Amino acid sequence: MSSPLKSLLRAAAPLPGETGRFAMGLSGFILLLAVLPILSMIVMSFSGASNLDFPPASYSLQWYKAAWNTFVSPDASDVLSLGQALTTSLLVATLSMLFATLVAVPAAYALVRCEFRGKAVALQLMSLPLVFPMVVLGLALLLIFDNLPFQLSTSRLVIAHVILALPFVVKNCTAAMLSIGNEVEEAAQMLGASPLRAIVDVVVPLMRSGILAGMLLAFIISFNEFTVTYFLYNIDVMTVPIWMYSRTVSSLDPTVFSFAVLIVLIDFALIWALEKLVGDGGVSF
Amino acid sequence: MALSTLTRQVGVAPLRPAKTFSPTARAWLFLSPAMLFLGVLIAASLLVLRMSVGTKGAEWSGFSLASYAQLLEPYYLKSLLLTLRLALVSALIAVLLAIPVGYCMSRLQSPLLRRVFLAAVLLPLLVNLLLQSYGWLVILGPGGMVNQALMGLGLIDRPVMLLYNQTGVLMGLVQTAFPLAVLPIASAMRGVSRSYEEAAATLGASRAQVFRQVVLPMSLPGIITGATLVFAYNASSFVVLLLLGGRRVPMLAVMVHDQIAPLMNWPAASAAGVVLIVTTLAIMTFSEFVTGRRRRILEASQ
Repeated sequence: MSSPLKSLLRAAAPLPGETGRFAMGLSGFILLLAVLPILSMIVMSFSGASNLDFPPASYSLQWYKAAWNTFVSPDASDVLSLGQALTTSLLVATLSMLFATLVAVPAAYALVRCEFRGKAVALQLMSLPLVFPMVVLGLALLLIFDNLPFQLSTSRLVIAHVILALPFVVKNCTAAMLSIGNEVEEAAQMLGASPLRAIVDVVVPLMRSGILAGMLLAFIISFNEFTVTYFLYNIDVMTVPIWMYSRTVSSLDPTVFSFAVLIVLIDFALIWALEKLVGDGGVSF
Repeated sequence: MALSTLTRQVGVAPLRPAKTFSPTARAWLFLSPAMLFLGVLIAASLLVLRMSVGTKGAEWSGFSLASYAQLLEPYYLKSLLLTLRLALVSALIAVLLAIPVGYCMSRLQSPLLRRVFLAAVLLPLLVNLLLQSYGWLVILGPGGMVNQALMGLGLIDRPVMLLYNQTGVLMGLVQTAFPLAVLPIASAMRGVSRSYEEAAATLGASRAQVFRQVVLPMSLPGIITGATLVFAYNASSFVVLLLLGGRRVPMLAVMVHDQIAPLMNWPAASAAGVVLIVTTLAIMTFSEFVTGRRRRILEASQ
């Protein structure tokens, strides 16, 4: 009588190598904590009150209305409107994405396909921006750009963002290239393609999803960058994160939360697209 | 016709100029555009090094170690120790939290759950730290989530101060750097084949034993890498301090900025920056050494 129940229970128990319910629950809880700041900010943006008490006393869309008004008719007191900051942000992110990808694809090819002297050094250098203190990078780039004989405006942000995004893009391109065998390239060359043409027409299209993932990552990183940009921005060139910070230095008004929700939504859409693109393989970091 | 074209092409191949390149030259040619950007980074760090031994007012011509001597004053020394301590504690907490999450991520079957987990890991890493700090203000503020909950439970009468001190900063540091611990741990655990777990279980190990004695030791290189990344990232953390520390938690990164913005003391800022770089490089080298040795032992034992 109890034996079917027992076997049912045994079937439900996780096999070795499967995650138990306890581990799943614990991980879920930890991940909830990890995204809690983002979630609480989203809830706060719907607050009907004008303070930061949580949970809010009432809910309304008043901050979204206020945010919309700021967007369409900027105060004269603002040094720069959100529209301009958004344009700059998108421009910088797009340029950084393009440059980082153009630079990373050949680098990935060299790192995967070639055996050469100094490869270990090259690999170390590629991951250097990942661990390089961002504050020092900001300080150092500011030193360089301020001592140049000519003025750079948007391009100094692009250069900084390309450096920051490079390890991520190279990593994704390398992973994509590793999954393509040497033989396709050899076949193309045997059929008469020059080595360069074999790369451009055969290898690069096969790497498409890895390259696209790298591009998306570069865009997200540039669009969200704060620390280095904080050192490099000036009145004419300001990205959205800097604009938001300059608004909240004196006091935190919840309109900022509605802008923040918009940005989080954009980020989430990009991340979701990124994961879909890379599929089950997972993004490489 | 087509066949003769083919044979001719193959015969011509060895004469192509591309073949005359040495492989090393070819590889570095491909690497050169990326190196251009990394060259900027290296040139920039050398500039910082030069600036750090300059003197205020004569940054490029002077030479003195005064900026480094200044770092040995009690105030700066305390800030250095605080930086190291907060980075170390945050790395330990982040790794402890990341181990179960990394394990689940490496063993998840359902594609949808995997995407949700990965998204939850990537959001804190990729979403602008400024926005996440706003979220922390909501959670930790005097009328925030934590204080309301504690007062509701009757544990405290008045709101406790969680912002603008080390508690708030530590929480912010752990949360923002958490993904850096999860990703290498998950990838290391994915590398531990399930057959090891099955073998251990067949030999009578309980689930906890399998995890503690098989999975954990085998993914130790990933765990160390994760801890190192969090440490390096948090040692130079800036945004979290700017917003959650309110300048009352003087870690090194904030000092680098303060030396420039109000004080215009480039040599002092550079010296603090050099200390940050050296700390980061030292901890990375150490971790490389430990994981390298560990990996060799693992490979030898397999």
